[in-house]
Amino acid sequence: MAPAEQIDYILNDCFLAVGQTIGTQKSLDPDVIHWWRTRYRAAFLHAMVEKGNSWERDRQRVTAVGRFLGERALFHAQDRLSIDLESAARASADVDSGCRMNAIRDGVAGLRVKYPPTLAHPDTKTVN
Amino acid sequence: MNLDDPKGQLAATLVHSSTDAASGAHLESTTDLEHAVDFVVDECFFAMGQAIGMRMTVDYDAVVFMREHYRAKFLSAMQAFGNRWAQDRQNVTSVAWMFAERAVRYAGDRGSIDVESARQAAADVQRYCKLHARRAGKLNPDSEGGQSRIAGYWCGDDEG
Repeated sequence: MAPAEQIDYILNDCFLAVGQTIGTQKSLDPDVIHWWRTRYRAAFLHAMVEKGNSWERDRQRVTAVGRFLGERALFHAQDRLSIDLESAARASADVDSGCRMNAIRDGVAGLRVKYPPTLAHPDTKTVN
Repeated sequence: MNLDDPKGQLAATLVHSSTDAASGAHLESTTDLEHAVDFVVDECFFAMGQAIGMRMTVDYDAVVFMREHYRAKFLSAMQAFGNRWAQDRQNVTSVAWMFAERAVRYAGDRGSIDVESARQAAADVQRYCKLHARRAGKLNPDSEGGQSRIAGYWCGDDEG
């Protein structure tokens, strides 16, 4: 299935994950659905088309982030009965910063695999 | 798209949806209906997730089945009766909750809702909606097309 076709299934999968976390604690304002769909449709398509991400490989990790998004939205909605757009936007900002941190960490991890710390710098002189 | 300005984006979205709801008119364009139905399906998936909670996960095959099955039915209902989402939202998402409860029940101890459990839950929902529509239709015999409209979203008209 091409990314453009697959994207709607992925969004459904993610909305389900967000709903799982929110559960019966709060409802969701309809405009939040519109906003999240627009935002994540573009982001996911970009990840799949431009960066070659694959849903089969990434599903578990991405739906886990969906659950985290739900948690943050719950947190930002505080004592309101429904998650409004402002809370949703704040939750998305939290997810963004979390993803950036992960990307940096993963990037460093990748570099560590490539350049293990046990290997001495080529310019370093060893003393035996 | 300006991700830092959710209200700016929202304004555009709300203009579109409030016009539909206020006029109550059928959307003319199939593209508009297809666009609208995607939001309806998203909201139903969100509602299913709420009902399932952290009791179990859902297999991707089941997600694919649910989307294909219900998107077609919802689109068919919208083509027949127009975009009545503002009026029908609460009923339809309540049925999503029922669907999820049935799916959890059919999945039993598996820990994940598979496509077979989703199919069985869909059949239960269909039976329920048909019975409900028949009963509601009898209570309002003057309502033209009322019975099939009530059955609309979840049952569709492919069952005869």
